[in-house]
Amino acid sequence: MSLLLRRIHLYLALFLAPWILMYTVSTFVMNHRSLFHGPPPNPPPKFEVERELLYPGEMPEGATPQQVALQLLATLDLDGAHSVARPFAPDKVVVNRQHPIAPRRITYTAPDKKVVIEKMVFSGAGFFERMHRRRGFQHDYALDDSWAVTVDLTIFALLLLPLSGIWMWWELRVTRLLGALSLAAGFALFGILLAVL
Amino acid sequence: MKFPHVNRRTHLYLGLFLTPWILMYGLSSIPFSHADFFERRDKALGLPLWTKTFDGPFDLGPIPETGPLRPLGGRVVRDFKMEDSSYGAFRQGPNQLNIYVHTFWKSTQFKYFIEEKRLVAEDRRFRWEHFLTGMHARGGFEDQRFFPILWAVLIDLVCLAFLAWIASGIYMWWSLPGLRNWGWIAILGGLGSFALFLARL
Repeated sequence: MSLLLRRIHLYLALFLAPWILMYTVSTFVMNHRSLFHGPPPNPPPKFEVERELLYPGEMPEGATPQQVALQLLATLDLDGAHSVARPFAPDKVVVNRQHPIAPRRITYTAPDKKVVIEKMVFSGAGFFERMHRRRGFQHDYALDDSWAVTVDLTIFALLLLPLSGIWMWWELRVTRLLGALSLAAGFALFGILLAVL
Repeated sequence: MKFPHVNRRTHLYLGLFLTPWILMYGLSSIPFSHADFFERRDKALGLPLWTKTFDGPFDLGPIPETGPLRPLGGRVVRDFKMEDSSYGAFRQGPNQLNIYVHTFWKSTQFKYFIEEKRLVAEDRRFRWEHFLTGMHARGGFEDQRFFPILWAVLIDLVCLAFLAWIASGIYMWWSLPGLRNWGWIAILGGLGSFALFLARL
């Protein structure tokens, strides 16, 4: 049991090191938002026009914004996790296509079939925040589900690593006193903060 | 005392001290990752999420179009004697300012209607998943009181600890030659999958 726990502790942590590193850096960025984004309120992210074109096909009669978005993304070879923005004009559909590095905003104007594709200007802080917040099960894409499974695996690791660490600590008799003090100090401080915050 | 010994002990004691935070981040990530499930479960209860506790005239004076809104939120928080809570102020629309007041145990939102000079206060029903996600999302150094700053410093310590655990873990793994092959497979498997997600997600 002990050996198995040690091996799981080690290999799980090694496999998930990129995820843990990403969540660590992004947490630091969000904890120091003013340092990375300037004083609040934060400005909206900047976009630059990537290309403009006339939509070559036909949208079905009476298509909903979601149907338009799906057809548009498929035609532009940009199919993937997206959301349809609240329409600010009845003849416009704005699609936000998620992407870790280069999210895009695609605006389709129905009367003239004009499509404007804008790419978000890259910012390191924005990238880490997007990755931190990215989930997956709500989208209908296998890749997003796979990402969500890795997020759940990271959650499992966050629960297993400290618990298996406690098990391993308890096996080392020489570390019991200092370990118990560390554990007790941590829980005491956490308890105080839980009460006052 | 040699470096490998210090390395192992630091890895261990830092881990034990920060155990509550790591468990909290692990548990609180579940409602974030499965938000739809928790929303459906709560909706089935048929209980209102917000309860109105105040609705009346209130004058916050002129609201700036740009710039920080926190001082305005501070006035509402003081008037309602909620100075012990953390808060943030956001413009919800051209005619609405929202102020969110939050402790780990209780949340209140204020809606200030600028033209009408009217304020509505609503308390949020306690939900365990909100309790957890509220802790998860808490951070930053904007609130200058002692305990919120201490919480933010501890978040930085957790970040530092994760970096230390990765570095010290890799060092310990490398010190055990018998585990190198499987370790390489785990590291390269992780890096490869993560890179694939970065490119394709």
